[in-house]
Amino acid sequence: MPKVHNRAVIHRVAIRDLRQNRKMNIVIILSVMLTCILFTCLFSVGGSLINGMQQETMRQVGGDRMAGLKYVLPEDFEKLMEDKETRDVVYRIIVGNLINKELKNVSAEVNCAGDGSAAKAVFCYPQEGRLPEKIDEIAMSTLVLDELGLPHELGTSVPAVIDIDGKNISYDMTLCGYWPGDPAAMAQECWVSRAFADEYAPTPTENFYTSENHGYAGYWMVDFNYKNSFDIEQKTEALLERLYGNAEIVPDIGVNWAYLTSSADAGTIAAGILLMMIIFVAGYLIIFNIFHINISANIRNYGLLKTIGTTSRQIRRIVRVQALTYSVMGIPAGLAIGVLLGNVMLKSIMRTLEIRSEQAYTVSSSLLILLCLASAAFTFITVMISSLKPCRIAGNVSPIEALRFHESGGGIKRKSKKTGRITPGSMAVGNLRRSRKKAVIVILSLTLSLVLVNTLFTVLNGIDEEKYISNRIVGDILIRWNEKSNFYDERAKGITPDIIAEFDKIDGAELHPVYYEDGMVITDETLSDRLNTLYQEHQGDKAQSEELERAIHDQSYSAHIYGIDGAVARFLEPTEGAVDVEKFQTGKYAIIHTYLWNADDDPGVEILHPGETVTVKCGDRKKEYEVMAVCSMIYPLSTKIYSLFETQVIIPTQEYLSFADEPGSPCIMINASENGERIKEQCRMLCDRDGSSLVYSDKQTHLKEFQGLIQMIQLVGGALSGILALIGILNFVNVVVTEILSRSQELAMMSAVGMTGRQQKAMLCWEGIYYAFWTTICSVIVSSFVSCVAVKNVTRELFFYRWSFTILPIIVCVLTFLALSILVPYISYRMICKTSIVDRIRSNG
Amino acid sequence: MVILKTEALTKIYGKGPGMVTALENAALSVEQGEFIAIVGTSGSGKSTLLHMLGGLDRPTSGKVFVENKDIFSLKDEALTIFRRRKIGFVFQAFNLIPTLNTYENVVFPIQLDGNSIDEKFVGDVIQSLGLSKLQDRLPNQLSGGQQQRVAIARALASKPAIVLADEPTGNLDSRTSQDVLSLLKVTGQKYGQTIVMITHNEAIAQMADRVIRIEDGHILKGGDVNA
Repeated sequence: MPKVHNRAVIHRVAIRDLRQNRKMNIVIILSVMLTCILFTCLFSVGGSLINGMQQETMRQVGGDRMAGLKYVLPEDFEKLMEDKETRDVVYRIIVGNLINKELKNVSAEVNCAGDGSAAKAVFCYPQEGRLPEKIDEIAMSTLVLDELGLPHELGTSVPAVIDIDGKNISYDMTLCGYWPGDPAAMAQECWVSRAFADEYAPTPTENFYTSENHGYAGYWMVDFNYKNSFDIEQKTEALLERLYGNAEIVPDIGVNWAYLTSSADAGTIAAGILLMMIIFVAGYLIIFNIFHINISANIRNYGLLKTIGTTSRQIRRIVRVQALTYSVMGIPAGLAIGVLLGNVMLKSIMRTLEIRSEQAYTVSSSLLILLCLASAAFTFITVMISSLKPCRIAGNVSPIEALRFHESGGGIKRKSKKTGRITPGSMAVGNLRRSRKKAVIVILSLTLSLVLVNTLFTVLNGIDEEKYISNRIVGDILIRWNEKSNFYDERAKGITPDIIAEFDKIDGAELHPVYYEDGMVITDETLSDRLNTLYQEHQGDKAQSEELERAIHDQSYSAHIYGIDGAVARFLEPTEGAVDVEKFQTGKYAIIHTYLWNADDDPGVEILHPGETVTVKCGDRKKEYEVMAVCSMIYPLSTKIYSLFETQVIIPTQEYLSFADEPGSPCIMINASENGERIKEQCRMLCDRDGSSLVYSDKQTHLKEFQGLIQMIQLVGGALSGILALIGILNFVNVVVTEILSRSQELAMMSAVGMTGRQQKAMLCWEGIYYAFWTTICSVIVSSFVSCVAVKNVTRELFFYRWSFTILPIIVCVLTFLALSILVPYISYRMICKTSIVDRIRSNG
Repeated sequence: MVILKTEALTKIYGKGPGMVTALENAALSVEQGEFIAIVGTSGSGKSTLLHMLGGLDRPTSGKVFVENKDIFSLKDEALTIFRRRKIGFVFQAFNLIPTLNTYENVVFPIQLDGNSIDEKFVGDVIQSLGLSKLQDRLPNQLSGGQQQRVAIARALASKPAIVLADEPTGNLDSRTSQDVLSLLKVTGQKYGQTIVMITHNEAIAQMADRVIRIEDGHILKGGDVNA
């Protein structure tokens, strides 16, 4: 078949056609813009938040490399350097810990950085000065300097006490560099020179994992990046396979969990895809609606074109060219507005949250371009997909049908219609019925946005400060030994009876100290059997099985003994049995929880049950208790220190005191029912004394901490639901306007036979009201389902969430819809009335 | 009795060099019960005249009196109401309302007015036009001729002062045209209706009591009853 050169003429027809329907075009371009704004906003806000959180988490983790090998030797480093997949490989040599007695509230590691980039990779590159070169030089974070009481001045002499695998070394160092310490980091860094490392922590000859003496000094920590951060876990496993093959001993690996894509499990991917789909569908429905209505309005035109010999393909091309034109006009504007809007939102998020690392949240221009391209592509694809069906309708139109086309439900011909009374309302019903499909799509798309808004709101609404705080603090005031302390013993038992007595002097303060002691559970026959079963189950996990093996062998294992009084016992929420406080205080009973650490699963392994007996040993005293209930120690009152395998044994204070030689507490719960403020002030003063490691907190303290998180979630969520609600509302306006504009001829005809403007407006209002009505019904049903099933189940595990049912956003949106159903017809009707009735009647028919 | 009268009716479209005078100083009067045909070539101004007679379009200058009332002294809303009470329209493209069935289309203007329907009269009109069996049908289930008959029934149902027909047979074949026109004439006579019809078809025009010729916006002949 010869090639026909008709592109130009098709193009011309398409463009002319566009020019003719200016008002309609504005509406369509607006909807394309709307979709583009939706995508751009979501992408740019989402992108920068993910970016920012990633950076924040990296600071917390203390490193920006994607993965690392732990406790390896220089030869492993060489292997990594040679591997093709890895890049940016850096290392640091473990030396020890800084344990100057002034360092009560800061834990400080001493390491030797391989080079500058190794220091930068853990965010510890000296801002002033440089990395150490001579043996007596040291560089450290300002937080350590502050804690040591030293000035931020290069050349300051630093009397360092360093614990190197249990050996303490005192060395007078000179400060050669420092940087602002990050309080979010888990530990502070101190750099020493390679010379120092070689001298005091020489590279061991033996592999760490086979070595008998469990020292860390001299081993290397090697961190590196991959080409991208997708599924780092899997990549790392592959890497180990490459480097070590089937060797029995492979080094421990660390995957930086700051990278959201570090573990690409099916659930995460599915959730991501689902979210994308929903957003995509929302955009699709907006555009599809408008396109569909527009095509229906123009169908006579297409019929006309067909009668004069335009083929289906050519008509489809006309529609496509028009879709393209809409995209070209709508997308750039949408991008610009979207980026601006996203920026404004982000700025306000920053301001409200007082995020100091604003830079971390700023999206780099290259990423921004990428985001824009993605949104543009997304929008364009949406437009093209949305135009597929209308394209087909337009292409397949039969010329004769089209000339008498009345949009009567696409082929479904109703036989007849019962005669009824005609009112604007009944005519509106008729109008919706005549194109049921369109009505369904409109209602669906409106429903979708309302459901999204409502779901998001339900999620935001359920964030519960009380529930969050109960996970952080019980009672009015909580006094704890500093959790950042280097010394585990102090964290668990630092609060001595003397300190407790001091607090007891505060008038009106009701003290409930929680006591702690290390002990052992002595296993009997039944328990041994159960341990054996457990051992069988965990044979695959090296550390766990070793621990269990030892327990079986020793016929005893670690017990964490807590002594609490009745007031504290009331807060226990047992998973088995019940806590009877009176009975508990007799001293014959214990409350038990057994714990086996295994990475990500629930660590509870209950091998003791209510009614059974447990034998506890402490020092050389031994005692038997009946298990009253299974319940873990209330988290905020616990030591927050865990062994690999342990049983928490909770007994009354009196029992504890009869057991322990040197009683001590990790924390004191204080109730201050009267004179709360004065008591709080006095407690605070006791904690703030120089050299004290006591940390004061009350509900307010934790609330403040939480507020940041809440505000963040509420702001982002609020902004998102705002956008979605806006999209829903604009979509509604679009639909109503399009309905009116596309029917200007029909309305003129009604005018001609005497339907007054008032009556027509009433009819149009009713149409809007019906849309709003059905949307309400659908969205209430769907939202209730989503809320009661999905949201409730997903959020059940969240410790700061209390689910409650709400349809408030739907009501708000629907009220807006109703207001608009009245307002919009008035405005758009006036718009079409600018053209005279005669012209409108003539326009098509 | 003169039921419809125009005075120096002029309609000018556009301004400046693109200005088109569609109608100039048209004077016309119609007696109660007359059946008048306005004939002219396309672009002669006959549609413009008809639209103004029906109050669909406002003249640049001049007046239209229906039952001695100057219709353009009314505001738009009032004019619409006046139109549905006093004027019945029959269009070339039928212009039925797609969501309403035959009967509903016929009584639509009456119901818009909130008036009770004179069932006997409407039933009679429907029967006269042979639509009795088609009352429940929707417009897209009717043939062109049937649709036009529905349109005529609609125009008659509210007992207007005048029925204005704009090329009522323009979309119909000649045989159906004959049928429809006869029906229009017969029912017009039966109910004493005044009918003003425009057409460019001489043969059809001959069925009228009086033919008015119009060319280049001027009424050439037949404008006055006694002319």
